[in-house]
Amino acid sequence: MKLEPQDSAGNTVAAADTDGTAECAVEAIDLGFTYQDGTKAALRAVGFRQARGEMIGVMGASGAGKSTLAKCLNRIIPEFEGGEFRGAVAIGGRPLDGLRVCDVAADVGMVFQDFEAQLFSTNVAHEVAFAMEQIGMDRATMNARMTPALEAVGLAGFEHRDPTSLSGGEKQRLAIASVLALSPRVIVLDEPTTDLDPEGKAEVFALIRSLRERGLSLIVIEHETEELRRADRVILMREGAVIAEGPPAAVMTQLDLLEASGVHPPSLNRALAMLGIGGHAESVDDAYAAIVRAYPRLESRVPSAPESENPAVDRVATQTQVPPLAAVEDVSFNYTAGPRVLDSISLAIAPGDFLAIVGQNGSGKTTLAKHIVGLLKPLAGRVLLEGRDRATLRAAETAREAAYVFQNPDHQIFAATVWDEVAFGPRNFKLDAGEVDRRCIEVLDAVGLLAERESDPFLLSKGERQRLAVASVLALRPRLLILDEPTTGLDYREQRRMMQLVTDLNRAGIAIVIITHTPWLVAEYARRVALIRKGRKLFDGSVREFFANDELLKTAAFRPPEVTRLARRFGTLALSPGEFADWVKERA
Amino acid sequence: MPLYRYIERDTFVHRMHPTVKVIALLVMFWSVYWVDNPLALLPLGFLLLFIAVITGSSGNFYALRWLFIILITSTTLMWMATYRPGPAMVHMPKVNIRKASILFGLGKGIKLAELLAASVLFISTTKVEEFTIGLAKLRVPYRVGFAVSLSFRLAPLFVDSALTIVDAQRLRGYDFGEGGIFARLRRYATVAIPVFMGALRKANNMAMALEARGFGRLARPTTYVDYPFRAADMIAFAALFAIAAGYFLIYWTGYGAVVA
Repeated sequence: MKLEPQDSAGNTVAAADTDGTAECAVEAIDLGFTYQDGTKAALRAVGFRQARGEMIGVMGASGAGKSTLAKCLNRIIPEFEGGEFRGAVAIGGRPLDGLRVCDVAADVGMVFQDFEAQLFSTNVAHEVAFAMEQIGMDRATMNARMTPALEAVGLAGFEHRDPTSLSGGEKQRLAIASVLALSPRVIVLDEPTTDLDPEGKAEVFALIRSLRERGLSLIVIEHETEELRRADRVILMREGAVIAEGPPAAVMTQLDLLEASGVHPPSLNRALAMLGIGGHAESVDDAYAAIVRAYPRLESRVPSAPESENPAVDRVATQTQVPPLAAVEDVSFNYTAGPRVLDSISLAIAPGDFLAIVGQNGSGKTTLAKHIVGLLKPLAGRVLLEGRDRATLRAAETAREAAYVFQNPDHQIFAATVWDEVAFGPRNFKLDAGEVDRRCIEVLDAVGLLAERESDPFLLSKGERQRLAVASVLALRPRLLILDEPTTGLDYREQRRMMQLVTDLNRAGIAIVIITHTPWLVAEYARRVALIRKGRKLFDGSVREFFANDELLKTAAFRPPEVTRLARRFGTLALSPGEFADWVKERA
Repeated sequence: MPLYRYIERDTFVHRMHPTVKVIALLVMFWSVYWVDNPLALLPLGFLLLFIAVITGSSGNFYALRWLFIILITSTTLMWMATYRPGPAMVHMPKVNIRKASILFGLGKGIKLAELLAASVLFISTTKVEEFTIGLAKLRVPYRVGFAVSLSFRLAPLFVDSALTIVDAQRLRGYDFGEGGIFARLRRYATVAIPVFMGALRKANNMAMALEARGFGRLARPTTYVDYPFRAADMIAFAALFAIAAGYFLIYWTGYGAVVA
């Protein structure tokens, strides 16, 4: 059975309707929405038409209105979210006015960012069947649709697996299978890869490409602009309105506009612009060809291996001769009755270090960090802080040496005001009121939240809450700060701001360890990389050495930034568009 | 941490009709309700343990062994201290130990342990979907049945979240063990607030995802798996009826009581 758009009775949707609107998958007219208690409109006069089989990419910073727009397409707004709604939506020519969310489920398949919250069943087959059961499909039709849906997402044979045992990428693919089984007229994917590791992201992006090739109508909301280059059309949103719309080549070359809108400009386009070539590169090959055309001399001198010399901007790893601030020595660990999570791992962190720990989900990165800060005790080996065995240190002593910011800032926020949240730690350590005030002012100023001192932390944006979480541990004045995926869920502007804060702290003398899946963060900010795989350290060295080692990157399924891959085509190594452009200009 | 405690096996208990499983759980609750005498409760306890072994659920029981031990000992001690029927066996300053108190306390402890054991057994052998269907067949509205069964899935998520939050606060120097019992309870507000906020957010996301999949469109959705009512279910049903009647008879004849 092919997964073509069908109505809930299982009839394939006709290509043309009497009024000629069947070719239009989605029509949104003058959509506007203001959330209940919202001070300004989250969506302002947004309208577009999507042809059947078209893929539209939606870009924008957090709060730009992307998710609000998506929710309007399946009636979550205004049926589920309270507020003031205006405008109209039609799917396949059918107006949605007055319908409930569940009435639209068969026409609009929605995949959310939080994959944990959209899986309800105890095995994969039940999960895919769930939506079909809800719309009253008979058992024979469900069985007929089950296999094609699972095959489409590469999960055939997983029918009896518990969804909670799947990887993040597999869970998100399962969520897509469950909407595919309904054969909806349009599938809306709202930041489906935000919470995934690189492998999971690659799986989902490959699936989106495959769905696109099969002619399904897709609306993809995504922070990773490079993945939207294959869309037929992209929409750029800011402050609830569409500010640019057109083919990717037209929108993704407006680099300043993208940056001003809090969207990460494609690094290849940025490099081409810096070289004065301009234009839109759909791939590394495209960019390579464009540069060779503009600088023919470069092609003739492409060396076979990356150049070994480091340019002026090279950031070398911290010298190991310096006595380490923290040292993990031959630590092994496993959770009760589970497999080995850390396997005789050793790692030294020097004062002032800036280390990125990378590796796939489940590789042991977070477990390693929890050993350093004392949340876990090694089954074998030891952890030293300033040369002292951490097992002999009291919690307060550990907290002053090493602090840990959890991936989800909401796991530690509880106070009524920003000020109280930051003061919580110093007060626990019985510091006098004057010292607590001094520290609060100091760290809130450092993270740019001093003006928000009386605000309710839960009303801050995700980026602000993340900075507040950093401030709340900084107030303990640690010498080592470990941040577990500090940019997950943040838009490009917030990511830059967070990393600038981290860089400033590092310059002030605090050793930084970031656990991250984001290649460009590693390339542009870290000085040293440790790659963990199955509880073992596979690599520990400079960022350049890391990105120059193809075999290692392949083993780790870690994809370097596109501009780094472009530089490798020219036989050099560059970690940012600026560095690459400088290299080209120098050589050409 | 596994979200479900369901153990995938192909035993006669696993194959039982969901409705029979729900009724079995209710029968267990019914039976322990009527009796206090530990001797009268023991057969039911052995039956539950036997079923746990043959269904491969003993791992789930082992994981909760401390909870079972604490339930029985703390309940026994509490009733020994507060329930004082009949003459004392042992006289000590301020403490009189009575046989009836011990038996009554032990009976209450075993009761609670059996309620827990029946629930663990149910979860170990019943999928969430079966639970929903079992309730629906008993005329519980589908939405209510689904919400009840979904809570089984959410509870471990919240426990996991709470443990992370405890870690986060400890790293900021927070000592959860400081002070008396009320002070300690107050200190857990630092955990309760983030858990509550997280739960609200998660529940909101889940509700949106459910509706987006058509949940609520039909009062009685169709089912992907067919659950026929077989001869084995009839036999199980009869056995459950006999257990329920038997325990009521024990109560009726007075053998279920510790003190007449």
